[in-house]
Amino acid sequence: MKPPTIATLIDGLPTSLGSYAPVIEEIEAALESPECSLGTVGEAIEKDPDLTARLLRLGNSSFYGFSTRLATVTEAISLIGIRQVEDLIVASSIVERFAGVSDSFVSMESFWRHSLACGIGSRLLAMERRLPKPDKFFVAGLLHDVGRLVLFAQAPKATEEVFQLYQREQLLLQEAEVRVLGYDHQQIAEALMRYWNYPENLVQAVAHHHQPAACELAPVEAAVVHLSDYVVNAMQIGSSGERHVSPLSARAWERLRLPIDVLSSLVENIDEQIEAVQEIFLSHSGKTQKA
Amino acid sequence: MAKIKSDSLQPGMVVAADVKNMDNMLLIPAGATLTERQIDILMAWGVGEIEVEAAEEIEGETDPLEKLTPEVRTKLTEEIKGLFWRPNEADPVFQEVFNLMLRRRARKEGSR
Repeated sequence: MKPPTIATLIDGLPTSLGSYAPVIEEIEAALESPECSLGTVGEAIEKDPDLTARLLRLGNSSFYGFSTRLATVTEAISLIGIRQVEDLIVASSIVERFAGVSDSFVSMESFWRHSLACGIGSRLLAMERRLPKPDKFFVAGLLHDVGRLVLFAQAPKATEEVFQLYQREQLLLQEAEVRVLGYDHQQIAEALMRYWNYPENLVQAVAHHHQPAACELAPVEAAVVHLSDYVVNAMQIGSSGERHVSPLSARAWERLRLPIDVLSSLVENIDEQIEAVQEIFLSHSGKTQKA
Repeated sequence: MAKIKSDSLQPGMVVAADVKNMDNMLLIPAGATLTERQIDILMAWGVGEIEVEAAEEIEGETDPLEKLTPEVRTKLTEEIKGLFWRPNEADPVFQEVFNLMLRRRARKEGSR
């Protein structure tokens, strides 16, 4: 059987960001309006009670760890920041977008748990490294294995072959992908994120999360997602199908220039945040199924 | 003086060293007594941890590995080593992650 091309895999996917796209548009419109205030932006979000509830729960969770309790969307926006709120809405809609993918290759709960944990870890590392816009790294970590989802959903036959080879020859799943398809999940994600017009540095970070040393355009971003993925795999928080912890790039670690004791606080913080974040982001797929 | 993560800070702790954001702007000077508002500011700037004067010794956690029997310890060590795909065992980052995972598992084992 001839494997599908990346273009055919992407072709069948919707361009929009699911049910939250109108909210994002309204936020953008409110921001551009001369009468823009926190209130008008807040109103755009409050039209969606489910989104409002999720935003407040996240704002009150250990993910942000504010010492005051957030009660309104306006408070949440003023403490978290509007661009960050938009990133979270995008993250949420991505989880929703793929809610229907079947569990036959990997349990979707396990897949998203792994992805969310990688997002949490990437964001924490970005904060530690004092990189701008750490919430963007949450999205990059969340999306790092999205190429696999596309593969599971769009090409179940080819996926089956990948998993058979993976089991039989004791390879890394990524190597099995390349042997069967001629490309891997990183390249699928790269194409998808370009198709969705994602910022190039995030596309690069996701496209090189296994071999970050090869990434010239966004080496630090790729190293952040790579290290987070490594740690989260070692922690065995969910799985995207790979049972091993893929090798760590020594080069990526050097590029991050972080002290080694960062790792213990990283592990501790991921453990502390994952339950709440999972609860907030995954309660969503339940909602879509009911609707 | 102890490094404390921002999410574990309590109002009333005394800041031991100047806290600056990534643009080197002073957020909180050394010697200040933390307020809730200042803790929120640290969170909002994404400051991961700051140095505070140690008011009291943080209670020392006993090493969870010591609670394990040698058999369980060997079993966990092998299990965790088996997770890693062809690790470079001389790499200090691998060693650190490996040790963290061993203790994390040992703690779970101990709380069973």
